[in-house]
Amino acid sequence: MGAQVSRFDEEGRPEMSAEEFRLLRDHVYAHCGILVREDMKFVMERRLWPRLEALGLRDFTGYHRYLRYDAQRRVELEAAVEALTTHETYFFREPNQLTAFTDEVMPALQQRNAPIKRLRIWSAGCSTGEEAYTLAMLLQQSRRFEGWDVEVHGTDISRRVLATARRAEYGPSSLRAAPPDQVSRFFVPLGGSKVRVKDEVRAWVSFGQLNLLDTEACQLVPRMDAIFCRNVMIYFDVPARRRVLQAFHERLVPGGYLLLGHSENLLNLGVDFELVHLHGDLAYRKPLLSQREER
Amino acid sequence: MSHVLAPQQEEERYQAVLAVDPAAPGALDALIVGLHDESWRVRRAASESLRRLPTLTEVAHRLVSVLAERGETGARNAAAEALVGLGDVAVGPLIRLLVHEDPDQRKFAADILGHLGRRSSESALIGALADSDLNVRVSAVEALGRLGTDEGARALEGLLKEPETLLRLAVLESLSQLGWPPPLPVVVPLLSDPLLRRSAYRVMGLIPQVAATELISRGLSSEVRSIRESALGALGTQASVADGPLRAEIDAQTHAALKRVPEAVEFVTQAFENEDMPVRAGALVAAGALREPSLAIAVAEAAREDRLLREVIRTLSRLGPEAGRELLGRMAELSLPARAAAAQAMLEMVDPSYVPALCALLEWAEDDLRAVAVKALGRTQSPEAVAPLVALLEEPALAGAAVRALGVLSRGCREAVLAALEQVVEQRPSPAAVAAFAHAGGTAALPTFRKLARAADPLLRAAALDAAMDVDPAVGLELARVALTDEAAPVRASGARAVGRVGDRSAGTLLKPALQDEDIAVRLAAVEALGESGAADRTPELEELVSHPDGALAGRAVRALGRIGTVRPEVLKEATRHADAEVVKAALQAGAVSAEGVALAVELLKHPGWDVRAMAARVLGDSGGRDSLEAVRAALSLEQDALARRALTDAVERLSRR
Repeated sequence: MGAQVSRFDEEGRPEMSAEEFRLLRDHVYAHCGILVREDMKFVMERRLWPRLEALGLRDFTGYHRYLRYDAQRRVELEAAVEALTTHETYFFREPNQLTAFTDEVMPALQQRNAPIKRLRIWSAGCSTGEEAYTLAMLLQQSRRFEGWDVEVHGTDISRRVLATARRAEYGPSSLRAAPPDQVSRFFVPLGGSKVRVKDEVRAWVSFGQLNLLDTEACQLVPRMDAIFCRNVMIYFDVPARRRVLQAFHERLVPGGYLLLGHSENLLNLGVDFELVHLHGDLAYRKPLLSQREER
Repeated sequence: MSHVLAPQQEEERYQAVLAVDPAAPGALDALIVGLHDESWRVRRAASESLRRLPTLTEVAHRLVSVLAERGETGARNAAAEALVGLGDVAVGPLIRLLVHEDPDQRKFAADILGHLGRRSSESALIGALADSDLNVRVSAVEALGRLGTDEGARALEGLLKEPETLLRLAVLESLSQLGWPPPLPVVVPLLSDPLLRRSAYRVMGLIPQVAATELISRGLSSEVRSIRESALGALGTQASVADGPLRAEIDAQTHAALKRVPEAVEFVTQAFENEDMPVRAGALVAAGALREPSLAIAVAEAAREDRLLREVIRTLSRLGPEAGRELLGRMAELSLPARAAAAQAMLEMVDPSYVPALCALLEWAEDDLRAVAVKALGRTQSPEAVAPLVALLEEPALAGAAVRALGVLSRGCREAVLAALEQVVEQRPSPAAVAAFAHAGGTAALPTFRKLARAADPLLRAAALDAAMDVDPAVGLELARVALTDEAAPVRASGARAVGRVGDRSAGTLLKPALQDEDIAVRLAAVEALGESGAADRTPELEELVSHPDGALAGRAVRALGRIGTVRPEVLKEATRHADAEVVKAALQAGAVSAEGVALAVELLKHPGWDVRAMAARVLGDSGGRDSLEAVRAALSLEQDALARRALTDAVERLSRR
């Protein structure tokens, strides 16, 4: 009585009611700013079914209570966020942007940082690490930064994907866009269809867990020369995007670059970045003279 | 503020705008000047700063006056943006602007009101639909499309017979955006206008009628490619709103229509590349109707758009086992969303021949996909799947999935599963192996479970108890008594759960120490078990927990009391005062059938939590008398939350029938 009666499909899996959807959506949003759209109830239901199954829970009300109260709730919340976001990533993804980075951004960074011989790149929302390693590979291939102190720092909210990133072992789907010469140059075959990223590339890459909406935690990230945040902002609503972009703005050195996914932009977000028209792509740059965060 | 007015450098002007103190006299003037700056950065900063001023009504009026400055395009756009940012306070001045003599300004007002999206502008915008200027009317149409009100949609519908094509086009697009289906006879004539056809098809997809399906199907077999494409978009939309019988009709008519299309497979393949999501949705429906396995990869890749996932899974399952094998063989080439969708669909298709490919997938795929492969292995019902699944019991990330898969597999090859598990439990016992053995029905292993209940590893002791409960509750209860005195919390919690499952008369006595346990997980398990076993003798302890600050404990205590049937009105009342809304909802549920519970539900219609108000409405709908109707109606008239409104509306309907 009073409670909505759970409905089940022909396989006995629970259907998610509108109220369960709202409670779960709000819970996830409060945790990490990821906003599941209203029309995504079906997707949320499908993606959380395995979690219910794994935990032996009968319905989504039970799952909501688990996320609220169980001793393992934090771990489970991470699992839920992981299930709700698509960790689609592979080596050398979005080649146009990578070419623009190599041909136009890298020379600018080389010139500017030559006196200090230090370069920092942030792969924000790095998932299983393919993007961070790809950037390190491109930096090494360019030979512009030999003898420099270089670090590509990958962060993600999910501990599980970070464990994969640190292992640096990948299967064929991660390599589906990697040119064969790059595969032989930067990977060690492990037998079967798996490979591991070579140690010299791994030496330039570090990883850490970070919720991009956690302003204090973002302060721990050192000043960056460029930030790659591709296909991450799509999960945030406008206020959350603003917060994340503010954090990026603060962590970038003046003149530092921000590179987003090809379907993302900063329109109507009211942040102080200038648009840079590269030959092969668009990028954003923190204005050179902007001193807002130093004040 | 002279430094804002005449600095030399853009950066200085930008910093000067940022430095404006919102409370300072002259701040409004300075920011209005900033709004006219040649640099977009400065204009944007000024536009945002205006929102922080204390006199927002005055700001709104000044901004409206900027809209009148012809030739100042940058400033007008910045003012429009600022007005949107002001929210409610901007609505009044903009409504007044809607009747300004200058059509340019009336249009601006309609545009901005649309972006503001406030219901309070509805009637003014409906009025603007009769403006003498076509551009203003079109802007009002678009604004009402953004507002999303029923009254607005009805007003738009009435304009579909107007003579201006531009206006009808805007109406069609707005109705499509609103998901508001106009009457079919009004839409049909618009299909013959090349300028309106695409949009007309779009709204026709919203009409869940067989007659609309017939027209869409006719469009699908048209010789004109653009008509076929528009019809495909309508098909995708209609399939998404169709119920069972109409959906069957859609599939049948699509099949018949595509038979008349030369190179239908090629047409559908190309449609998957279309940027318009409804067209891709239509391509999925068409692919399902064609039952063409070669489309499997394109179908799976359509899952990159999350909203198409339901249709992708449905279509893949219609493509048959040949498509399943195609997908499995090319899994590494697919995008991650496509792999996930393909794996889900594959679950419906697996047979013993899939085992080698599924094992290969386990070698490289990510954990989510491997978990699906594990599930699929269970469904193959092949003895060949036993060994790989048993091996996965030692892999923490997949052990749970392997336990469940072995349970499914044991339905078809029980002997092979039991033999393999018996060996593992004897030689390399793990909690997962013990659980799998119990799931597969290993009664013969009871002596082993008894032995493992004394193992050094507490997780193994807990698993052995759970397993014993699964196969023989009497033995489980015997082990549970010992477990309740175990030094390890997971074992005590397991013991408490076991007592609850047995439902023995002695449960209250057995669980009393667990209610005082130092470990919260044990206490929670004990409370749950008391409710499950109906142990009324522990009611005082449960009542005490109702006001516990830990919402988990308090909520569970309320639910337990509800199940036992001993919840007193004063305890219910206490629970509804809890800070945690979940406890309040538990109280509503526990007291739902009592007169006191109904009275509390009436009070809780004013609770700050939308979910509590919704549940209170449902309680009243279920159990309230006609005398509750007035309170529910009053709550409905004030309710702003959509879900709570839905529950209240339903309650009003049900109570009105009593």
